[in-house]
Amino acid sequence: MEYNKAQMNTEPKTDNRSLALTALEDFKGFAFYHLGRFSLFAVSFSTVLIVLLIFFFVIQQGLPFFKNFGITEFFTSKQWYPEAGEPKFGALSIIVGSLYVTIAALILSVPMAILTAVFLSEIVSHKIRNLVKPVIELLAAIPSVAYGFFAVLVLAPFLQTEFGLSTGTNALNASIILAIMALPTIISVAEDSITAIGRDLREASYGLGATRFETIFFVVIPAAHSGIIAAIVLGMMRAIGETMVVWMASGNANQIPSPWWDLTQSVRTMTATIAGDMGETSKGSPHYQSLFAIGIILLAMTFLLNIVSEYFLASAGKNSRKK
Amino acid sequence: MKKNLFTMVLVLTAVWVCNLSAAEKTLQIEGSTTVGPIADAFTEAFSQAYPDVKITVTKNGSGNGAAALVDSRCDIAMMSRFMKLDEFTASVDKGIMPVAHAIAMDGICIIVHPSNPVTELSLAQLHDIFTGAVKNWKELGGPDMPIVAISRDTSSGTYETFDHFVMRKDKMDASIEYVSSNPQVHSRVKTTAGAIGYVGVGFLDAEVKGLKVNGIMPSKQTVAGGTYPLSRPLFLFTNGYPALGTISHKFCTFYLTEKGQEIIEAKGFVPVTKY
Amino acid sequence: MRFIIRHITDKIFTALTVLSVVVLVAILAVILTPILWKGFSAVVFTGTIEFRKMQLDLFNRGDIDELNKENARSQLYRKKIYDTIDRFKQNIDAETLCDKAAQICRTFGKELQRKNMPGAEYQQLRSLSREIRDKLQIAFNSSNKKIVDENIKDVLKYKTDIRFKDTSAAELFAIAENFAADIKNIDLAKRQEYAYALKEFENITVKLLGYNPSTPVPALKMNRYGATRLNIAKKILNQLLLLEKWEQTSPGKPMVKISTPRARLFAGTEIEPLFDYIRDNIDEMLIPKRTFYWQYLIDSSTPGHYFGGVGPEILGTLLLTLASMVFIFPIGIISAAYLAECPSDNFIIKIIRMAINTLAGVPSIVFGLFGLAFFVLYLVPLFGGPSKPCILTAALTLAALTLPVMIRASEEAIRSVPQSYKEASLGLGAGKLRTFICVILPAALPGILTGIILSISRVAGETAPILFTGAIAFGPMPKNAFDPTCTLSYGSYDIAVGDRLASLVPHNQYGMVATLITLVFCLNIAAIIMRAKISRKLKGQ
Repeated sequence: MEYNKAQMNTEPKTDNRSLALTALEDFKGFAFYHLGRFSLFAVSFSTVLIVLLIFFFVIQQGLPFFKNFGITEFFTSKQWYPEAGEPKFGALSIIVGSLYVTIAALILSVPMAILTAVFLSEIVSHKIRNLVKPVIELLAAIPSVAYGFFAVLVLAPFLQTEFGLSTGTNALNASIILAIMALPTIISVAEDSITAIGRDLREASYGLGATRFETIFFVVIPAAHSGIIAAIVLGMMRAIGETMVVWMASGNANQIPSPWWDLTQSVRTMTATIAGDMGETSKGSPHYQSLFAIGIILLAMTFLLNIVSEYFLASAGKNSRKK
Repeated sequence: MKKNLFTMVLVLTAVWVCNLSAAEKTLQIEGSTTVGPIADAFTEAFSQAYPDVKITVTKNGSGNGAAALVDSRCDIAMMSRFMKLDEFTASVDKGIMPVAHAIAMDGICIIVHPSNPVTELSLAQLHDIFTGAVKNWKELGGPDMPIVAISRDTSSGTYETFDHFVMRKDKMDASIEYVSSNPQVHSRVKTTAGAIGYVGVGFLDAEVKGLKVNGIMPSKQTVAGGTYPLSRPLFLFTNGYPALGTISHKFCTFYLTEKGQEIIEAKGFVPVTKY
Repeated sequence: MRFIIRHITDKIFTALTVLSVVVLVAILAVILTPILWKGFSAVVFTGTIEFRKMQLDLFNRGDIDELNKENARSQLYRKKIYDTIDRFKQNIDAETLCDKAAQICRTFGKELQRKNMPGAEYQQLRSLSREIRDKLQIAFNSSNKKIVDENIKDVLKYKTDIRFKDTSAAELFAIAENFAADIKNIDLAKRQEYAYALKEFENITVKLLGYNPSTPVPALKMNRYGATRLNIAKKILNQLLLLEKWEQTSPGKPMVKISTPRARLFAGTEIEPLFDYIRDNIDEMLIPKRTFYWQYLIDSSTPGHYFGGVGPEILGTLLLTLASMVFIFPIGIISAAYLAECPSDNFIIKIIRMAINTLAGVPSIVFGLFGLAFFVLYLVPLFGGPSKPCILTAALTLAALTLPVMIRASEEAIRSVPQSYKEASLGLGAGKLRTFICVILPAALPGILTGIILSISRVAGETAPILFTGAIAFGPMPKNAFDPTCTLSYGSYDIAVGDRLASLVPHNQYGMVATLITLVFCLNIAAIIMRAKISRKLKGQ
């Protein structure tokens, strides 16, 4: 009897639970799900927030400079005398210097990077590839300050004694090191895009009797061009934003080399100017603001390059997906 | 019994408070990178004599030192130049009375590579080199070698002094290389045959060659006596004269002691008390 | 024919690709070899007795008894140098000698006053002693041997005088005799030159052997010890033996360096044989021993990194890494989960992805500017903290910089977890959260760990963002998160170009960078190995 009663008591309970949720339960679940989702979203959104904050604060500190001193002098004058009694803020040669070493670095690194990418994706077996890849990763992992250390204490004296240059810390030195630093980025992105080209194109080319060189040069690389362009742009971003190496190795002379192809002259870059001058300027002075103004230029440049690279990466993705 | 307990508590509290106040003894020093090494070495000496005092030396330039003193962010500002008028008025406006302690003399030496036969330059010649009017050592009686002129970056105190004495409102040429520290000037000149640069007198050694300026060799006597045209005093600035007996007072007067002078000399500066 | 050309082009092309890879490997070797090799010498080297003394004094390390024994042995050999220098110095330093004579004369005068002798005799003795003093001073100051000899002879005439016996004036004769004996080999005309050369000789000796024990202890630690390493000792010894001079050989050309034996400066004097003596007995004086100085990694250093190791720098780097990991780890994983688990065509996801790419592309120095403007000058003061660069601000800046690395690696790891895991878990009735935490996360953990390791290596190596947000070149150990700190990365910069003392100790310069590179490489190699394991595992399935 007792036993039955107990059974009687429990059974209705399970029966009574309907599969449908009550309004409260439904709301609770809904709320928890969306609250959870929202908090996840909020944390993920912090990246966006950081980007916005970076833009906001760099622009906020740099904008007063443009307001007070105007834009024309900054972009057209080569006179950079921020601490003079009558300060002059002409950043032309600084901006040109940045582009100068970056382009020189790309000229040095792009051919080699593409050859290496081709080597890794087309020529060697998986085994050798697995041996070479860590080398590239280690090159990418060496801290920039260590590269700068090498540039100043090993490469600069070498350039001076072996080539008889009047100064070892110059655009050439900085470009060589920047080229080495850009290599891993360019290689890995280019390699990915070359690998992504399907076998069908290659087989068709080989089937027509083309040699390996012809296949790669006239078929694979044109097909992978958008990925390769993206790789070069990414490498350029890496080079233009690099600080320690150019600061230590470029000589920091505020000039545009003349003749323009003379790499053995010293130049000064935007990043090095910020790093070198910020340490001793007093906060809030025009000099301080001018450095943030350079920061704005850097930020704008890398942002544009980023959009370009994303465009090309996206079109590379589309191309490979089409096949 | 009760009285004993009371005394004990009192003593313990006193000890604790003493400990607290001992731990509280900190000294914030900020400013010139030139004076920095002296402050570092003073700190080293102080850490032996007063182990409970924590001294932090931040080297971020004379301008920042002055700004930090104005904002009461530091106890002592190191400066390789005197306060500018606007810095002075700003601090007085905030109720801070900057007091200068000239702790040492520093001469700015013109250095060249030891292979350079030129031994003497006038201020006018220096001016011509750094404005870019003279580009080859040939024009100064040296070998046929392009001049590689090296300057400190424009926000350093050393640059300001050089600018004041040599450039006299004229702009430096665009081909001047800028480096961010005295040692860097030294090492660039040491390794470059055609280089010329300026550094504190402490950086003069056998690896580079110091030049006479206006016929006067930079030395302890000429720098301290002021006959060398490129000499300057180095300062510590405090808010008012530091209360006698405080650690700040001891620090600011340490340069008067024999040990302080030995340190200043060891760091390559000239003690002001030795004329 | 065309076929051959095509064939050759093909071969050349292949050769070029191989060459580029060889060059790549060579570049890595060229960069790493000097840094690691020289850096290695910071830890393993031949240390001298001066090194062991320094270790005992500054770091309280080593065997005192053993060191005392060694010290006694080396002092045996060093004594000769110090004695010779002292004696030589005495004779060329006219001023000190004159002072000494005058001093003795004065003491003698006081002595006479006390003796209570008749006035006339007193006067006579006083004037006689004054005469002797003057003659001695003439002799000391003269550079003409004849005059010296005459005066000394005149002085020594009174040596047997009974009136001077057992008085302090007797010392005058002792000085005179010593002087006469010692200057036999010295060219008195060159006294000034000797004094200058001797000063230099002494300075180099101090650098080689440490300060003379009879002089006061130098105030700065770096001046208290001689050459701590055999290779440095050899360099200094070379400086000691050879005098380098720049001389103009042809007009209008740069001067050239000419080395001559320094001993020539002291030709004929008793200093001259010292050079050979030092060269031959350098090992006995310095007692070099093979040293394994692993404490380099924990020791703090004296100003300019002159002595000691990279302890504070390693600690600072670890603290900074740890602090930034606190921010990177949760944000990184949650963002990665959100990106991997949510449908990717979402507009918001696109924005987030773009933000991550932008963040990855922002130059590191701009992060420095941002950290200065936002964290140092705005955020920390907003919460009542001090508005100055410190560990916290540096860590936050580095976290912002490294976030993309972490998110990308973790997202890839989460995506590579087979869909079947997720479906099985969901099929068993687990909720989305439970599935993620209990199934996907553990499966993706190795990949996430790789991401963490890579982020750590990035944080440890970056310099530009912390230039203005919390790194200092030299200072006390940080007490809390509001203190600035030394780091390996900024230290490497400073030691390379910012410090003159450091350029005198290249082993410490390279040691710092080598430590940094080794740390970063160990982390990266761990990540590479881990990734290889994961891919093998995934292939196995």
